[in-house]
Amino acid sequence: MIKKDELLRIFSVQLRTILSRINLDYGNLQEIRLRINAPLMVVYDNREFFVSTKYQLTDQVQEAFIITKNEIRETMEYISNYSLYAFEDEIRQGFITIQGGHRVGIAGKVIVEDNRIKSIKHISFINVRLSHQVKGCANLVVPYIASDDKRNIYHTLIISPPRCGKTTLLRDIIRHLSNGEGVAEGVTVGVVDERSEIAACYMGIPQNELGIRTDILDCCPKADGMMMLIRSMSPQIIAVDEIGSREDIEAIEYVINCGCKLIATVHGNSVDDIKNKPILGRLVREKIFERYIVMDNRKNIGCVEEIYDARGTLLYKDNYDR
Amino acid sequence: MVAMKVIGAVLVILSTGGMGVYFSLILKERIKDLKELNKLILVLRGEIRYASTPLPEAVGNLATRTDGEFKRFLLAVEEELDKLEGRSFNDIWRGCVEKELLDTSLNKKDKLLLSRLGENLGYLDKEMQLNTIDLYITQIQGELDDAMDSVKEKVRLYNMLGVMAGIFITIILI
Repeated sequence: MIKKDELLRIFSVQLRTILSRINLDYGNLQEIRLRINAPLMVVYDNREFFVSTKYQLTDQVQEAFIITKNEIRETMEYISNYSLYAFEDEIRQGFITIQGGHRVGIAGKVIVEDNRIKSIKHISFINVRLSHQVKGCANLVVPYIASDDKRNIYHTLIISPPRCGKTTLLRDIIRHLSNGEGVAEGVTVGVVDERSEIAACYMGIPQNELGIRTDILDCCPKADGMMMLIRSMSPQIIAVDEIGSREDIEAIEYVINCGCKLIATVHGNSVDDIKNKPILGRLVREKIFERYIVMDNRKNIGCVEEIYDARGTLLYKDNYDR
Repeated sequence: MVAMKVIGAVLVILSTGGMGVYFSLILKERIKDLKELNKLILVLRGEIRYASTPLPEAVGNLATRTDGEFKRFLLAVEEELDKLEGRSFNDIWRGCVEKELLDTSLNKKDKLLLSRLGENLGYLDKEMQLNTIDLYITQIQGELDDAMDSVKEKVRLYNMLGVMAGIFITIILI
């Protein structure tokens, strides 16, 4: 349930007034886009709309409220709590996580120093992506990633193209395992949340429910975070999002050799896609992962298409007719 | 009649002497206030340097570490920042310096320096914040040194002046 007031706090006074007067179901609101000297837009129920000055959603661009430099400046002040310096790392990555777990993407003039992105100034484009945690979306997959007696969890790789809900699924899997839902007993889960997407921590407090036995390293590089968690928090399961780099793979091998179970996500369309990846492919060929969950969004976001075991045997297939 | 004159003279001298003591107390209080301010700004520096704490939270944390007028000032800043009513940080900070620090012994220059601190807080990166705070600490330290150097002489001077003024008025009246 999205808290409307909590979300609207980040907007300038004028935008706040406009957005609060529109009759919207915030459960279906996906994005709010602010671009300098361009119409205020929202993505609502998978459709793009302009927001009119008469507090309505419209298709007519000429009726739309136009965003000024001042609106962007004021909104950025509120997003950053008057303290852009406190979000230097986030700005370098191009986003800030706000209360409620929503993701604010920003773009503008990038300042580069020694071939590294130092910061972004003249921020002129803001995209507020609303976080929607879907409790229960992992009900289908949890029986497949646990052994028959539900005591053992398998190393699992979630494979999905962007915007298909892999992080949403990972989040719910973590919640299930941590709370002991669908498995014999709850297990300690360590989450390395490099981009604050899984737990969406705001001032250290997870905004999404990840279960009662979950420890989170927020904004921490995945490879370092996995090692740190193993040494400090003794997790039984480690969960990470969007693996792929050489350092990630080395850390994964370390995790697996330490007796921890791993649940990770990766961008891709199929197991074969992953096999062809230069570094991650080796782990697949060595049958390190015991379960593969392949997702797509042809039916709806968060749709699980197929589940395979380590040898490539199909364990589940969605019978949705294309 | 003589007794009345003596009582009157004593009262005049006591009241002017009291005024001298009052002004010397203000001097001592100013030093106390500057020291407290210096301490708070050092904590703010730590909050920003060590934890990159955003200003509303940092100001709130500072408020828990002090009391009296400064606590009221910091809480007012935090409250105003929390309202998100379209005012800039500088505007809010300056407004609170003017409204909430009336009962302190800080002089005009001290308040001006404190107002100026707000001009660059929140602007640009962490280094900018630390430099701004360092500059302010240098300025406040200078003020503090000057005040401490001259306080002994000035206190004695004010006390003496108070009593002498009383005696002078008494002589004229008699």
